[in-house]
Amino acid sequence: MFSRNWRVLSRAYSQAVTFRTSEISPQHQNDKQIGLFYTLKQDTCKELFSNGGLPKSFMKQTKTFTETTLMIRQPALDLINCIKSTDFNKPVIRYVLYGEKGCGKSLTMAHMIHYAYEDGYLIVHVPWVSEWLRRVPRHKEMSNSQTREGLVDLPLDAAAWLIHFKSQNQTLLKSSDLKISKEYVWSKREKTESGAPLSELVEHGIARIKYACDVIDALISEIKILSNNKQCKTFVAIDGFNSFFYPLTRLNTPTKKKVKPDEVTLTKSFLELTKNDWNNGIILLSADQLAVPDENQDSYFPRYLLRKQGFEYLDPFVPIEVGRYSDKEFLSCASYYRDRLWLRGPPEIETELKFTSACNPFKFMEQCAPL
Amino acid sequence: MNFNSRFLNKKLCNYHFRNCIRWFVVQNRLYAKATSFPDFFQNPIFRKEDQAKLIENSELAKLAAVPVRPPASYETCSVYHDPLVNKVINHVMEMGKKQLARSLVEKAFENIKRIQIERYHLAQTQEEKNKIELNPKSILYNAVENCKPLLQLSPIKRGGITYQVPGPITEKRSLFLSIKWLLEATNDKERTVHFPEQFAWELLDAANNTGKVVKRKQDLHRQCEANRAYAHYRWQ
Repeated sequence: MFSRNWRVLSRAYSQAVTFRTSEISPQHQNDKQIGLFYTLKQDTCKELFSNGGLPKSFMKQTKTFTETTLMIRQPALDLINCIKSTDFNKPVIRYVLYGEKGCGKSLTMAHMIHYAYEDGYLIVHVPWVSEWLRRVPRHKEMSNSQTREGLVDLPLDAAAWLIHFKSQNQTLLKSSDLKISKEYVWSKREKTESGAPLSELVEHGIARIKYACDVIDALISEIKILSNNKQCKTFVAIDGFNSFFYPLTRLNTPTKKKVKPDEVTLTKSFLELTKNDWNNGIILLSADQLAVPDENQDSYFPRYLLRKQGFEYLDPFVPIEVGRYSDKEFLSCASYYRDRLWLRGPPEIETELKFTSACNPFKFMEQCAPL
Repeated sequence: MNFNSRFLNKKLCNYHFRNCIRWFVVQNRLYAKATSFPDFFQNPIFRKEDQAKLIENSELAKLAAVPVRPPASYETCSVYHDPLVNKVINHVMEMGKKQLARSLVEKAFENIKRIQIERYHLAQTQEEKNKIELNPKSILYNAVENCKPLLQLSPIKRGGITYQVPGPITEKRSLFLSIKWLLEATNDKERTVHFPEQFAWELLDAANNTGKVVKRKQDLHRQCEANRAYAHYRWQ
């Protein structure tokens, strides 16, 4: 009797205390570490997410906690296992993350990007599609595309994305011999030779913002060719992918015409990338309620969010649900918050918070804030 | 029917009222106007600790037969219920928008916490770290305590001249003034600064015994000290 009590006690104690793991590389994480937090190195984090990729509220937390930690959760581990057992000669497999608001889709994606980074993938990451299509700041740069009739360019957003792409793939672009297969002529005087390194293309897009959208288009077709030739393996991650399939964007042309997502050049390029007509890559997408307006947020399932068009477009895909915290994850998160001084007070608070937040990670974080 | 029931109610109330006088205390209101409940209705005891205390002192039996108001929605037995915080929220509230007021105060607490945790991590030694108060609620308590005035000036007219006469202040009024001053100092801000940020700064300042509000309190005390010659007008 006594020994059993001790066992129960020590188990409770160990559950209450271990919330961190020293396993920092996502390749070696396994089921034993579910619910534990691992720390991203500062410089890796800066390289991967300095231009977006982590949600804003999470960035605030990292500043307060003076470290960037991610929880190892089941969906990410499932994805890693899937990727490890993938045959890369077959057409790319598309994974779609879905789940309620604030359950950690974007952070699961961040975890996977870290995995891809450690594994030496070429990362094509779009932090948030709605940033292009739905967010309209006072001076949104828009112009009619010169190469493709009837389409709209978003040169500033495109250039910003190219910078993001460049910073995420610094090492690959510097070292490896990724070459362009054909010649691109931008204007009478400007052209990119075939056989030039990929980084030259990216640099050109950043320097000549006017051509940024065309550069992205070229870059994407080049990446497809390179992956098909087995010169690099590619990891595509697009957050808020369903906003490509919402009937309208919030953009207006100077003539006050509403723009549809298909009429934006960036949409065309990235939809081209998410077709499964190439191999040696992985595509991870997310369907997010927050990417569409309030009146169309009734359900979080991919069929509803992607709409018929998007669902048929992606059709053979692997849905992966990111759910609320399990009991163990909640406990470890609460003790992590206690360790970071974010949560304090009597232990009854946790049961109450568990009840009021319904184990939703974001709500839990929010409700801990004023305590 | 309707008339009947009202009549019955009145009778019942009268009956209770008569009984009540025989029992003890009347007036339980914490507010100026009566609600739909008569005055002799007791305030509910909704905190678990208070209930435990009652049971311990075996006073529960006394209350068993007394009519009790139902608790309001904000009077909960939640772990993080706090009377002072609730008071401050009510002071912040405008036009009955309590949810907004609550979110503002909670945002302010969050800001306080972020500022203090950052300071905590910046501090070099353990001693310095121990000095930093991290709990936003206790910061609020300290701030309100530090802003409470001990004296007040009341205008009294003697011989055609109005004198500012110093006098003692009740506990309730000093609490009121303290919260009011804190909020006035907060609202006196740049348009671009948000309320929660400014409120967090004011609270931190006041908890530190510095800042606008503490100065205002000291000014009042100084004024009272200067006007002490008029003190006798209070009763003459």
